[in-house]
Amino acid sequence: MVKKSTVQIWLQYVTAILLIFLLTWHLLVRVPWLRGVETFKDTLASEKVYHEVSSYGILLLIFAYVALLHGFNGLRTILLEWTSGKYNGLITGTIIILFIIFGALATYTVIGITPP
Amino acid sequence: MSEGTGKVLPNRPGWLASVNPWVLRVVNNPERLAFVLHRLTGLLMALIIMAHIFVTGTPARVGWEAWAEEIAKAQGITVVTLYFFFFAGIAWYHGLNGIRLLLVEFFGTCIGKPEKPKPPYLAPSLKACQRKLLYTVYILWAILWILTGYIVFMG
Repeated sequence: MVKKSTVQIWLQYVTAILLIFLLTWHLLVRVPWLRGVETFKDTLASEKVYHEVSSYGILLLIFAYVALLHGFNGLRTILLEWTSGKYNGLITGTIIILFIIFGALATYTVIGITPP
Repeated sequence: MSEGTGKVLPNRPGWLASVNPWVLRVVNNPERLAFVLHRLTGLLMALIIMAHIFVTGTPARVGWEAWAEEIAKAQGITVVTLYFFFFAGIAWYHGLNGIRLLLVEFFGTCIGKPEKPKPPYLAPSLKACQRKLLYTVYILWAILWILTGYIVFMG
């Protein structure tokens, strides 16, 4: 039987490895010279953003979910450590609810987008 | 380390201690600073990710007009560019230090091999390349953050 703490730390490491690639890509698409535009502001233009979301929506969603998993798992760990295990249930429950809310919001951002 | 008061036990000096780089009174301890910065940037990232998902959902939630209004402020020194600048700085540090942690903790590289303790009792991990890796993180962080500032404010 694998310990819960082992799963938790492996989750953090595996999502971290995925995030190296996903975050690098996410930051590089904001570099004007790589997008063939003049300024940083131009990379955020409606047409560019729509093209990004409609073409790479799945990748953006994977990025959002992996980032949320990594972020909330880390936040939960810190909060559990700070409270010395007094509010385990409350903290874990709140984190799961936040994950569902922001995961749904990210999904809606990709699915609900319309052309500008 | 805390001596312990009525409410705080020795060796458990409370949550503030976990973000204090100098809680361990050890000279030459950049690893502790790296840990505190990783924790602080991680906390900030977890909070900013929520705001980022909310803001980037504007075209789907509100519409492209609202998005265009926000993006009009993404030039020069404004709230929008400052947000991108600080978010990128936090992400750069957390990402670069995260790669170092993966190499050192997960893949076990740059920490040296166990050896018999001999005077002057310097741990193998302090003689191995992990500390060079740490200084590389600080240097790359500064370079990439300056470059980000150039792109966001000047680009």
